[in-house]
Amino acid sequence: MATKKTFVITRFDPDKDEVPKTQSYEIECQDDWKVLDAINFIKDEVDSSISHRWSCRMAVCGSCGMMVDGEPKLTCKTALSSYGDTVEIEPLANFPIVKDLVVELEGFMDKFQRVKPWIISAKDEAAKKAATTMKEGTNRQSSEELLEFKQFSMCINCMLCYSACPVVSNEPDFLGPAAIALGHRYNMDNRDDGAAERNEIFRDEGTVFSCSYANECSEVCPKGVDPAAAVNQAKFNAVIDWATGFVVERGGAK
Amino acid sequence: MAATKPAHPDAMAPRTAGPTRTAAPMQPASWKTSPRMKAYARFGMTGWVYLIASISAIVIVWALGSGPEAYEQMQGVLAKPLVILFHVIALISVGFVLIRFFGLFPKAQPARIGPAKPPPEPVLKVMLYAAWAGITVALSVILAGGIF
Repeated sequence: MATKKTFVITRFDPDKDEVPKTQSYEIECQDDWKVLDAINFIKDEVDSSISHRWSCRMAVCGSCGMMVDGEPKLTCKTALSSYGDTVEIEPLANFPIVKDLVVELEGFMDKFQRVKPWIISAKDEAAKKAATTMKEGTNRQSSEELLEFKQFSMCINCMLCYSACPVVSNEPDFLGPAAIALGHRYNMDNRDDGAAERNEIFRDEGTVFSCSYANECSEVCPKGVDPAAAVNQAKFNAVIDWATGFVVERGGAK
Repeated sequence: MAATKPAHPDAMAPRTAGPTRTAAPMQPASWKTSPRMKAYARFGMTGWVYLIASISAIVIVWALGSGPEAYEQMQGVLAKPLVILFHVIALISVGFVLIRFFGLFPKAQPARIGPAKPPPEPVLKVMLYAAWAGITVALSVILAGGIF
């Protein structure tokens, strides 16, 4: 069965508009549609000038995050049937708007790189090559060790958490939930030796201690990652690392 | 519902501006109406209650050091309905903050510190509430003159 709904979509053309405006579209929607299906329908059948990002349509790529009735949502995962006759679609809050529903990603990428989101190995390259057994040459990890941080590695970088965070909104230097969660994920990884470097970054201004634990990031996360838990665990570890640094070499707090 | 309040103009801005002009970031419109954000705002606003309570405590200690008459006068002030109402608000604020804090505390614990792992979440919560009850009882006994 089809239902008529009105979509109020934010429009912004950097070549013409000073500030964003809204435009309404009334369309027939199928009951099983997700919000993204409706936006794609409008783009394909009604107004091809609308710009929005999307790719996988199965909550994996993290491209289609938008504000739906004021809440950050992954539009490919959000059922249209849970909304009323009028649905407001806006670009992700707290991000500069490039065009219509497309936001600027570079700021997010800058923050991401700061936490060194890769395995930092202390193993000497020559020792790795000279290793003759699997135990010597590889980074082994048990399922118990993996379980300690697995949820933090499920992030799809959809940036909904940044859109929901009141600190991101007010403190431009704040690293933000996803970046800290990823840094914490590597600090927790038994194959990584970079905890000391990352804890040093986490103790800087605008990092973990800027978080006021609003918990909104975890509430809106479409993958159940719980970034608020990661940020606050990272606070704990950064303090333990700082304190233990007075008696042993830094980098002990994993 | 549309977002009307701007976020910080540099929120999520790249270190070097791109070639395209961008529109300023906006705050989520739902913050004004969301029950979660209202609870978060109330949590933050309790800071005013603690600030006033702290200043009151300093005034009481000051009166204590200014002689018995000043202290008697201060006790008279503390018995006024408005001050009692403030204390009721302070009690509600503390209860609200503790319940929120105890709810969020377990997941903020690291998976382990060295070989030591934190107890399961329900156990941790019971421990927190037991500590709260224990401290409340101990302070009540001390203030009632039961120990000193």
